[in-house]
Formats: sequence, structure tokens, C-alpha cells
Amino acid sequence: MENRLFKWLFTLLVLIMILLAVSAFSLSLGPAGMHPGTIARLILGGVGTATDYTILFDIRLPRILLGFAVGGSLSLAGVLLQAMFRNPLVEPYTLGISGGAALGVALGTIFGLTGLLGAYSLPVFGFLGASCVILFLSIGINRSVLNLQGLLLTGVMISFISSSAVLLIMSVSRIEDLHGILFWIIGSLGETDWLPVKLALVAAFSGLIVAYLFCFDLNALSLGEEDALHLGVNVERTKRVLLLLASLLTGLSVSLAGAIGFVGLVVPHFVSMFAGTDHRILLASSFVSGAIFLIFCDAVAKSVAQPVELPVGVVTGLVGGVLFIYAMMRRANTVRGK
Amino acid sequence: MKIIVLLASLLVAGMFPAHAAAGPADAAGLSPRRIISLGPTITEKLYLLGAQDRLVGVTTYCERPPEARAKEKVGNVTQVNMEKIVELKPDLVVATSLTERRAVLGLKRLGIRVIVFNEPRSYEEMNRQFLELGRIVGREREAEGIVRAAERRVDVIKKRVRGLPRPKVFIQLGAKPSFAATKDSFVNDFIELAGGTNIAREAKTGFYNREEVVRQDPDIIIIVLMGAATGNEKKGWQKFHALRAVRNDKIFIMDPYRMCSPTPRTFVDALEEMVKALHPGA
Amino acid sequence: MLELRHVSCRYYDRFVLKDINVRIEDGDLVGVIGPNGSGKTTLIRAVTRAIKLAEGEVLLKGKPLGMFGFKELAQQVAVVGRLYDLDVQMKVEDLVLLGRIPHKRGLQLMERRSDMDIARRAMELTGTLSLKDRFVDSLSSGERQLAFIARSLAQEPELLLLDEPTSHLDITHQARVLDLVRKLNRDKGLTVLVVLHDLNLASQYCDRLFLLGDGALRKDGTPDEVLAYQTIEEVYHTPVVVMKNPVSSRPCVFLVPEDAIAGVK
Repeated sequence: MENRLFKWLFTLLVLIMILLAVSAFSLSLGPAGMHPGTIARLILGGVGTATDYTILFDIRLPRILLGFAVGGSLSLAGVLLQAMFRNPLVEPYTLGISGGAALGVALGTIFGLTGLLGAYSLPVFGFLGASCVILFLSIGINRSVLNLQGLLLTGVMISFISSSAVLLIMSVSRIEDLHGILFWIIGSLGETDWLPVKLALVAAFSGLIVAYLFCFDLNALSLGEEDALHLGVNVERTKRVLLLLASLLTGLSVSLAGAIGFVGLVVPHFVSMFAGTDHRILLASSFVSGAIFLIFCDAVAKSVAQPVELPVGVVTGLVGGVLFIYAMMRRANTVRGK
Repeated sequence: MKIIVLLASLLVAGMFPAHAAAGPADAAGLSPRRIISLGPTITEKLYLLGAQDRLVGVTTYCERPPEARAKEKVGNVTQVNMEKIVELKPDLVVATSLTERRAVLGLKRLGIRVIVFNEPRSYEEMNRQFLELGRIVGREREAEGIVRAAERRVDVIKKRVRGLPRPKVFIQLGAKPSFAATKDSFVNDFIELAGGTNIAREAKTGFYNREEVVRQDPDIIIIVLMGAATGNEKKGWQKFHALRAVRNDKIFIMDPYRMCSPTPRTFVDALEEMVKALHPGA
Repeated sequence: MLELRHVSCRYYDRFVLKDINVRIEDGDLVGVIGPNGSGKTTLIRAVTRAIKLAEGEVLLKGKPLGMFGFKELAQQVAVVGRLYDLDVQMKVEDLVLLGRIPHKRGLQLMERRSDMDIARRAMELTGTLSLKDRFVDSLSSGERQLAFIARSLAQEPELLLLDEPTSHLDITHQARVLDLVRKLNRDKGLTVLVVLHDLNLASQYCDRLFLLGDGALRKDGTPDEVLAYQTIEEVYHTPVVVMKNPVSSRPCVFLVPEDAIAGVK
């Protein structure tokens, strides 16, 4: 059906334009208050002061790119998980991965290992913590039949245990450590080092490509695992690969930007409302929408209470929470209407 | 694109002094003209050194002296706004151990000189840091003068309390949970120099159980808390009628700023206040 | 077409299928009947590889089932199952197009012209073309069943498996579904294995019946052979009367209520 393809491409185009608009908007926001004209002249003509250049390219741009990568990764992970679990409350953090990451960071801090790798210590600890959880979950995954519901419960338990453990560690740590852990958990996209940003971008795009290899499998899964089997989907392999992919994307995002919730929960729901449930469009739309959402929330977080920055996780929680309630109500009404 | 980068790097190279790229190690030369302080104590010390007209940025918590409030804000004690800092074009940023590590590294990467001062663990270390700060901002003589004056006053106090009986003192730094100063904190030095004994001196961590306080039965209890909790805390202790400190009405409240984040001068002020509490007659 | 040799399946330590040996030839229309819990659905699941065999093997066109790739199997065998999780909003046309998934080539992302044609023909055959833009969860049970059958047809299978396709349907739709299945069998040569709980429907529409009882194959033959009242009473543990259908001459099974027996005695 050609006009379906056109409709999808059109949706994607609109989303990309919104993404560029939001990014440009965020690029012009900041306490240094740069006029859009100044920015344009700097980008296009290379004319401007060194300070402006530094602020634009070394502070604001990496932040926006990280927001793009993390927002896209988390939404993508959300789509994958919601397709597999067929549970609307599942999001990347439900599996306990962010809890593991937070625990990794807390343990690394309290054992005084933060000096080990300089700037990369906390992200590495976070990723190690996340990896431990992923490893633990994969023990469950490698049984011959992957029981998703059991995995979900395990993930929720891991989340609880991790948060308690982290609180325990925080209660016995020194003031400096305490702040360090707390602010890492709250999350921030303020990264000026290009290496993590590039890493995040590569991971996000790779994840998107791999996910697309399974877009039909995802469509088939929407009516149940056994039914997908009837349609020729290698269900076990698909579950394993996609679960691993979602976990890695989440683990990386959490390590680099702290715990930013709701992105993976709200975006897929919202996007499916206007783009449909076919994964061929849902994957890319959610990716771009997630990026838009996070960049927007970050723009709000850094400008509402200048010069202090709000934690971006707070903004995504508030905005995301409201959007989620709206989406659920819309869905309930549509069902009732029928 | 390459042209932009080239032009920009030339501009950047021209703007910052050649030795600023690496970090704290700098050649003897120009003292910094545009300083940003990322801690209230640092701000206070800079004013004390008379370097305040070179101070271009402070935190939202820098309230002492009151003039500091008028300076540009670049963030709070833990989180700083990198853009604001870059915009102010500082040639020195002085940070604390509470400052977000990612920001410190980020600023260094942008070629800005950053010096981090950790929490001093003793009175001597505090003075050393003050002298270091003075040297860095080019007010070495003033720093030495202040430290010497402070040490003279401390000597006087030491003479005053020599030979006097040393009362047992408990300084409470935190309410829930109860937190005291061990020998790793310079607050401990307050007590020692004022001629008292810190009952929490040898404790392994700062978490000090109330029961333990009752068991030790100190002569004097000093409450050093921030905010409204202080009044309640005093009432809380006064319920323990068995305590010597309660019976003799020796529960004092002291200014947390002076006690916890002192400059050499305010340290001595607080010390004198403490001596009054410990040795009312001396 | 399909052969089961000494097939046994179990859930934990309980055997739900015991030593099943059957052969289905090309073009057969076979019904699987038996009481609840006799293993009918398990039989289907053994053929679709949804469950692992404890013993024995299944051969499709002479080849062991284990040697078929996932997509390969789905191109030969299509299934209309019993329960579907209809959480997702999907249009009928999209549902039917899902049946083309086993035929996707490489990195193909959108349906080809041929896919659309095949889907269209499947909907025509099942009478669901007019419903193609409706959401599946808004259809009646009967229409929904026909839509799922259309999906199976889009897979272009040689063997069609149906698990109790008429359980929750009114007689209009029962007839429509089974008439369609018969037509597909007769006109298109589709081999069909259908699980039915209604003995009379099985009798009317199927050429052969497998009667299962307690996981074992109790009888394999024509409806006349299988639906003898002694056999049924033995397997179903309830008194019945069997008579010929006046129009089609197929056996009809009549339930006998307790108080009616008392009246006869």
C-alpha cells in the first residue's frame, strides 16, 4: 500500500523537523543568552567570539547530542520491551538495570575508587553495575524457554533491593560522596567530553539498525508468543536478542546520564497513538520522539531556575507523568467509545 | 568547518594566558585577575585577603560577607553552570571537594585553571590552605599577616587555659542521625585549643550514638546545627536530667558558619567564644 | 503429508499424549475429537513445535519437523489458534498481511504488490474484504474467526490447523466457518486438521476423525467407524444415542439426560 509508506515517511519527516526545531531552540538557551542571530552567524559564517564558540560547541552542542542519543536509546528500549512483555507499565528501568547502575556508582564511590579512571570512573562503575544486573537476568534468559513475566518480577525486585542498598550506602557516606552519588542518580546531560557523547551516538544508531532487523518479528509478537511462532518467528532467539539490546542501550544511557525515567515509558505509548502500532514506523518515530522529548525537558531543566540547573530526571518525570496520564485516558475513552 | 576551528583556536589561544591550559601548576607570573569562587568559605577568604574586586563569580550560598550577594551567581555548592562560568571569562576558578567532579574536569578541558581545596582536617591545615590561596591570588603578604595575627591570638588563648582543668566536651554537628567531630575534623582542634577534651575524639566514624553521649556524661554540650533544628535539639537534650551538662545548664548553641567553615580570623573568634563557654572564669 | 510416529508429550511428569501414531494424506480433512483434557490442543502444539516431544517424531512431507527452519515451516503450515491477545489495535488488512511474514525476503521492509494481492484474495475467500479497514477488536467473534482464517490463507500453506474454531460462535457462523474450511479443502486441495468439541459438526464436515481419550488415540477412521455409541460412551463416560442424519446420512450423536433414561426404563 503505497500511501501507507508515504504516510509513514511524512510522519518521520515531521518528527525530524520538530527535532531540529527543538534542538535549535535548546542551542539558543542558556545563561549566556545568545541571540539566535549570533548563533546563526557563528555556525554558518564562522564569525563570533571565542567565548561564544566555546559555549556553543563545547558546552551546549555535546549536551544536545547526548540528549538525542539517550532519548532515542531509552525510547527504543521502551518500544522493544513493551512489544515483548505486552505490558504498558514496562519501561527500561523496570528490569532493574538503572538500580544496578546506581548501586555500582554508590559502591565505587564509597570504596574511594572514583579517582581510578578520572572522569570516566562513575560512568564505568555505573555500566559495571548495570552489566551485573544484565548478566544476572541473562542467566534467566538462557533457560530454554524465556519466561518474561518471571523476568519482570525479578527486575522489579532488583530495583527495590538496589534502591535500599544505595540508600544504605548514602547514609554512611561522607558529605562529598553523598552529593556525588545523589546527583549522579538524579541525572544530568551536562557532558563536555566528546568521547562519551560519540559512544552514546554510535550505540543509539546501532541499536536502531539492529531493532529494524526485527521489525516484522515485533509485529508478529503483538498477538502473543505462540502466535508469532506460527508466523515463522524464531521467538526464543528474538526475545533474547531484543532483551539484550534493550538492556545494553539502557545500561549505557544510565551510565552516561544518570537515572532519567519516564522516557522509555511514555514515548512509545504516545507515539503509537498517532503513528500506529506497526513497528516499521513505531521504532523510528519513537526514537526521534524520545530525542525530542529529552532535549526539550533538558532545555526546560537548564533554563527555568538559572543559574541553577534542575535535574532533568525531575522534568521528564513531571512532563512524562502528565503525558502518560493523558495518553491512558485517551486510550480508555477510545475503547469505551467503541 | 576547518576554517572555523582554526580561527577559533587562534582566538582562544590569544584570550587565555599560555600557561592556563594545563591546570594548577603555573609559572610565577601574573596573578589572576578574574576569579570565580565555588564555595562560601572561599568567598569569605577572598574578601579577607582583600581580593574581592577581582572576584567575578560566586555561588548562591555565598552570603558572607553580605557584599558577596551582589556578585554574579554561577551555581550552587555542588552544581555549577558551565556556560555562566565560561561567559565570565575567569582565569582562576577555586573549587571545593563538594563541587561536581564532572564540572571540574570539564572546565579544565576547556583550558580554564581550576584549583580544588579539600576540607581541612586540622587548624594547621586550614592555615596552610589560606596561605596557599593567598599565594595563588597574589596576596601572600596579607595572608601571612592574617595568619600570624590569628596565631598570636591563639597563643594568648593557649596561655589562658593552660593548667586549667579540661572539661569533657561534646560538639554535636548533626541531629538525625547524631553526628560528632572526630579527631579527623578540625572542629576537634577547637576543643583542644580551648582547653577541653573531645569525648568523640577517638570514635571511628562521626556517627555518635546519643546513648554513648549519656554514658560519657560530658561537662559541656555544644550544638552546632544549621537551621531551625537547633532549638528543638537543645530542648531534646534538656530532657536528660541525669546529664551533668543539663544540671549545670552548660548546653550552648554556636554559629555553624564560624564553626564549620571558618577563615583564620573567624576561627579565632569562634575559639574565644568557646573558651568563654568552657572556662567561664578565665 | 503429516505423520506422527510414537509421539508422546508431557507437562512436567504428566503425560498428555501417549504414543500417538497417525498419518494424514494430502487433501484429507481430519477432525480431532475427544473430551476436555484428552490432549487435542497438545496434538496441535506438537505439530507446530510449540511444545517439545518427550518421545517420537513428527514428519511433514516425509521430513522430520526439527529439520524445518522457522519461516520454512510457517510457509507450509498455518494455524488458527484458540485464544488471541487482542490488546493491540490492528486493522483487519494488517492482520491478514501478517500472514505474509514467512514469505518476506531479506531486507524487504514494505509489502510487495503480490503480497497485497494474496491478502486480498484471502479476504475475498473468507468474505472479510468488506471489513478490511475495521479494527479487529471491533468485530464479532464470527467475523474475527474469519479474519484469522484469512491470515492463515495469506501464508499460502499446504496444511491448515484449526483449534476449536467454532467454540464460541452462533450456528450461522459455525456453518460459515466450517463451510469455508470444507470448500478450501475440496477446491484448493488444502489439507486440514481441525480440533472440534462438537461431535456432530465433526461428523458432518470431516472425512476422518481421530478420537482421543486420556492422551491416547482411541479410534482413527471415518465418522461412521468412530462415532459408534459404545466407543463414545467408553471415552466420554456418558450415555449417548447415535442415529443417522436424515439429510446427509452422517452419524449424529444425541446426548441423553439422566431423567430421560429413567423415563425409558
